[in-house]
Amino acid sequence: MPDTARRLAWLILPVAALAVIVVSLWPGDQAAADPEARAYHLAISLKCPICAGESLAGSQTDLAKDLRVLIDEQIAAGRTDEEIIDMFVANYGEQVLLDPPGTGWGVVLWAVPLAIVVIGIVAVLGLRRKDKEPEEVPT
Amino acid sequence: MIAAAGYLSIVVALVSSGALVVEAIRHSRSSQPDPARLKLPVLGLAIGGVAAFALLEIAILTHDFSIAYVAKNTALGTPFIFLLAAGWAALQGSVVLWGLMLAVFTWIVWRGLKKGDGLGVLALAIMGAVSVFWFGLMATAANPFALCTEVANGFCAATSSLPIGDAVAPADGIGPNPLLANHILMAVHPPLLYVGYVGFTVPFAFAISALIRSERSMVWLARTHRWSLVAWVFLTAGILLGAWWSYEVLGWGGYWAWDPVENAALLPWIAATAFIHSAIVQRRRSMLQAWNFVLVIVTFALTIFGTFLTRSGVIASVHAFSLSVVGPVLLIFLGVILFGSFGLFAVRANTMSSSPRLDSLVSREGFILVNNLLMTLFGFTIIFGTMYPLLVEAFTGREVSVGRPFFDRVAVPIAFLLLVAIGVGSTAPWRVASGKVLWQRTRIGLNVGFVVAALAVITGISSVSVVAIMGLAGFVIGNIIAFYFHQASRSRGGGKSWPSSLLSTVRNDMGFWGGQVSHIGLALAAVAIATTSVLAIRTEVPLTVGETAVVDDYCIGYIEPFSRVEPERNVQGARVAILDSSCENTRVVLEPRLHEYPKFGQVIATPQVWTTWVDDVYLTIAAMDDTGIRLKVLIFPLQWMLWVGGLTIVAGGVLALGRKSRRPSRTSKTPDEHERADA
Repeated sequence: MPDTARRLAWLILPVAALAVIVVSLWPGDQAAADPEARAYHLAISLKCPICAGESLAGSQTDLAKDLRVLIDEQIAAGRTDEEIIDMFVANYGEQVLLDPPGTGWGVVLWAVPLAIVVIGIVAVLGLRRKDKEPEEVPT
Repeated sequence: MIAAAGYLSIVVALVSSGALVVEAIRHSRSSQPDPARLKLPVLGLAIGGVAAFALLEIAILTHDFSIAYVAKNTALGTPFIFLLAAGWAALQGSVVLWGLMLAVFTWIVWRGLKKGDGLGVLALAIMGAVSVFWFGLMATAANPFALCTEVANGFCAATSSLPIGDAVAPADGIGPNPLLANHILMAVHPPLLYVGYVGFTVPFAFAISALIRSERSMVWLARTHRWSLVAWVFLTAGILLGAWWSYEVLGWGGYWAWDPVENAALLPWIAATAFIHSAIVQRRRSMLQAWNFVLVIVTFALTIFGTFLTRSGVIASVHAFSLSVVGPVLLIFLGVILFGSFGLFAVRANTMSSSPRLDSLVSREGFILVNNLLMTLFGFTIIFGTMYPLLVEAFTGREVSVGRPFFDRVAVPIAFLLLVAIGVGSTAPWRVASGKVLWQRTRIGLNVGFVVAALAVITGISSVSVVAIMGLAGFVIGNIIAFYFHQASRSRGGGKSWPSSLLSTVRNDMGFWGGQVSHIGLALAAVAIATTSVLAIRTEVPLTVGETAVVDDYCIGYIEPFSRVEPERNVQGARVAILDSSCENTRVVLEPRLHEYPKFGQVIATPQVWTTWVDDVYLTIAAMDDTGIRLKVLIFPLQWMLWVGGLTIVAGGVLALGRKSRRPSRTSKTPDEHERADA
């Protein structure tokens, strides 16, 4: 009985902590993301059209500065993220998207890593000893 | 004069490495291979490599602008430290540094060989072959000593490929790329990375030598263990300093952008991390013999692939400074390595002794396999994501980009899984872990993790992912520390004091505890990555002189503008005070600046950072005129923890270097410390 009690004691703290976490983080009315955070998120998802592999957020070119201002203005004007992204694609083509859509060729981008996971798991399982039970080991 | 001597050094090194290949192969076939007979080619290679590097530095420091590389990458006004760094800052110089390290490493390996060491002698032949490539590159496509034969508009307009003929020197050089000459870290970051890159040549050479000689033993692995670890430590430090440089210089507070060249540095690191883990499994359990060959070949190939990505210009990147024939040459070299190594591997695979099987997935080796699986997935995804735009363009002609959102989405779940695997796996026993033992070894960490997460919530963090990462980090660190005290208390049986038993626990197995220190560092870094990317505050405030603005818990006040002229650049800056939120007490005065480089027509915003235990306040000037400034104010919570965590990862690697040599427990007569302690 004291043994069980001791084991249960180990659980009191985690359960209490978990309760605090769940109660505090329970999704309530999520405030709309603040405009600056939205602008930054858009800026890191869009490529600076004239730069070598830099996002709008990372580039110091004048064009990138202007486009960051444009994003701020569009957000202030009440446009959604999708509308702003569509506007950039219309102006600069698909290559401004640093996150290729998961359609067409984009499927391959996700299928290949998934295939690797499957192959890897099969390989690890194949490594397991099949012929006999695990030997007793001192622990 | 310097050019001719420099070129001669390259030729000496090239000829010596060729001779090393021939001689080492010949000697390795004899019954008693004698490394002492290879003295001449090894010394020739080492002296040639050192001389080429030294002469390039001398040419740079004496401003010998008749050498095109010096004229292009340095100027009279370049500060001393960046003059030194110019020796490796551009393509040709970086190849010279690579050659220097390879030559010195070959010499170190040669010194450690004893008579009759066929494996080592043949490994020297492999290193010689790699040297032939690099010094061959220097002698032809990437000659650092090419002379300037025509000057137009004060710049070197034409070069000769050989250092023969009349050279003309412009009055002054162009100078280094402003971004590279803006911060001291840029002088340190590339050499560290290169020691890491080049260091993996040694385990690769021994692995190939073992494959050619059909050696079934794991001698190659044991002998190159320290080389792998040293290379890994330098690679880690190099990547960390690169991230730090990016944070300090680029002006948007980013330390990682998933740029193709950043990926190129990360890829060998991922493969190497998988390798140093799976090498432990082979050393302890004799498993994964074939897999370790694959990993060491892949690690080495990825260092070449990384150099190819950086130097070929095939993929648009901020780091890709050069377009040259070096790209295709590197690609051919990469192809030779991959086809040669894996061809050899395929031929020899059937001669490898069969490895013992896995007893249970729930065991130390099982969790290390999880690490390997995640690293493989991570690496393949990064390679694929980096090359994807190229593939799509080749097949469809469409231009697409893959960037941070894609890589983040892959990296975040992998990071979560890795932390779980580290938390449970690093203290799990070998072979089979019973539920009872696992629970005993994880319950304290579990409690710590939950308490940390609850505390995070109480302090007001409302992001689920940040709370989860903090909890996981608490779990990992709590487990490791609890296990440490557990082991130390077991060893106190002889009446030892706590401090001495804590010390001797680490001393008895520095490899293991070094690894755990690195794991703690990784957990800290993961927390910082989460807080700085999710909880950052980014805003831009317009300020006139004397005006203040409140951002988060701080008050930002514009004191005055200033300007000064420095060598090679004009500096315009703003003195900005950071006050407490009541705008009364000044806590620090920062000077964010704009650096104008007239020769390049470039203006670079140079940020200034104020670090506290809570967060970093990061100021950059977005715009500046007579009426005032637009100041970008970025606040990154717990940013310091990323650098401390990164340094802890490196420190763990250094600690692990002090490990005693251990034989695998299957054949070893001394019982395993951990198992015995728990018996």
